[in-house]
Amino acid sequence: MLAAVPALAAPPALDSLAPDFALKGIDGRNLRLSEFRGEPVVLHFWASWCGPCRESVAALDALGARTGTPVLGVNLDGNNERAAAVAGSLHIQSPTLVDARQSVARSYDVAKLPLTLLLDADGNVRAAWAGVPANLNELTPQLERLRQD
Amino acid sequence: MKSRPNPMPRLVKLAAVLAMLAAPLAAVPSENDAASLKTVDQDVQALKKQLIDLNRDLFKLEEELLYPASTQVAVFLSVDVGTFFALDSVTLKVDDKEVANYLYTDREVQALHRGGVQKLYLGNLKAGSHEIVAFFTGKGPHERDYRRGTTLKVDKAIGAKYVELRISDREASLQPEFVVRQWE
Repeated sequence: MLAAVPALAAPPALDSLAPDFALKGIDGRNLRLSEFRGEPVVLHFWASWCGPCRESVAALDALGARTGTPVLGVNLDGNNERAAAVAGSLHIQSPTLVDARQSVARSYDVAKLPLTLLLDADGNVRAAWAGVPANLNELTPQLERLRQD
Repeated sequence: MKSRPNPMPRLVKLAAVLAMLAAPLAAVPSENDAASLKTVDQDVQALKKQLIDLNRDLFKLEEELLYPASTQVAVFLSVDVGTFFALDSVTLKVDDKEVANYLYTDREVQALHRGGVQKLYLGNLKAGSHEIVAFFTGKGPHERDYRRGTTLKVDKAIGAKYVELRISDREASLQPEFVVRQWE
């Protein structure tokens, strides 16, 4: 059975390179993860039906605005209008990308929402929170250290 | 027949350079020796170059092993002017099977406008007749959503096949034009 699991169906381990992807944002712009190399990035998978995700999305958006760190939200509703409506109701300013085909979610093996990953300037995963909102008390100092590196 | 790059000599050289580097580190003099540091710096630079060369050779070797010339098919994409079309994505099908679906960021579109050529797809095809279909999605004249498909029948023989998809402007009709060319 294990042999049948595709190679990509494994969550990115700590210190491993986060899989690259390009997705369309709710504003119509396409963004590619690798184009953010050179600075730490917070990657956040969420969906509108996930209660803790809403809280997490808003908190991470505020963190991004406060620190100037790119926060990329990947919405898994599969519906651009739905994602835009929720992001609008939460006043999210950071990019919200729509994974309509769930291809990125598969490559990151998103089994629990929300999933938050802290990536360093080289695109490596340095911290992860799955199934619970990211702990900002842990995330913020780690992010600061990465920004100073 | 083209000879494949052999990475082994480079690996041996790398090992030698690493050994050279390790030796002075094991017996670091107590005082700062500028000449010694300069030598180490030169060795590090040489090592860096060796690594880059080795990486390139391994990449070429991997490509030759995975995509032998007898079956290799590569599809490239370029933009010539392209003022009538803002590229958003390209979907590529070979024999009705989707093999590539690429979403372009602003930066990538700018790179294409500056003359960049993108390797959109690299794969293998058996000798014989095949159909390559490309669907271009983006904004056309007057900011209208625009989707256009273009088809190419290729006869794959022994030897690599290179196909170029080019987006250009048709000035007469003020419309974008999608040209498919085969390179021998």
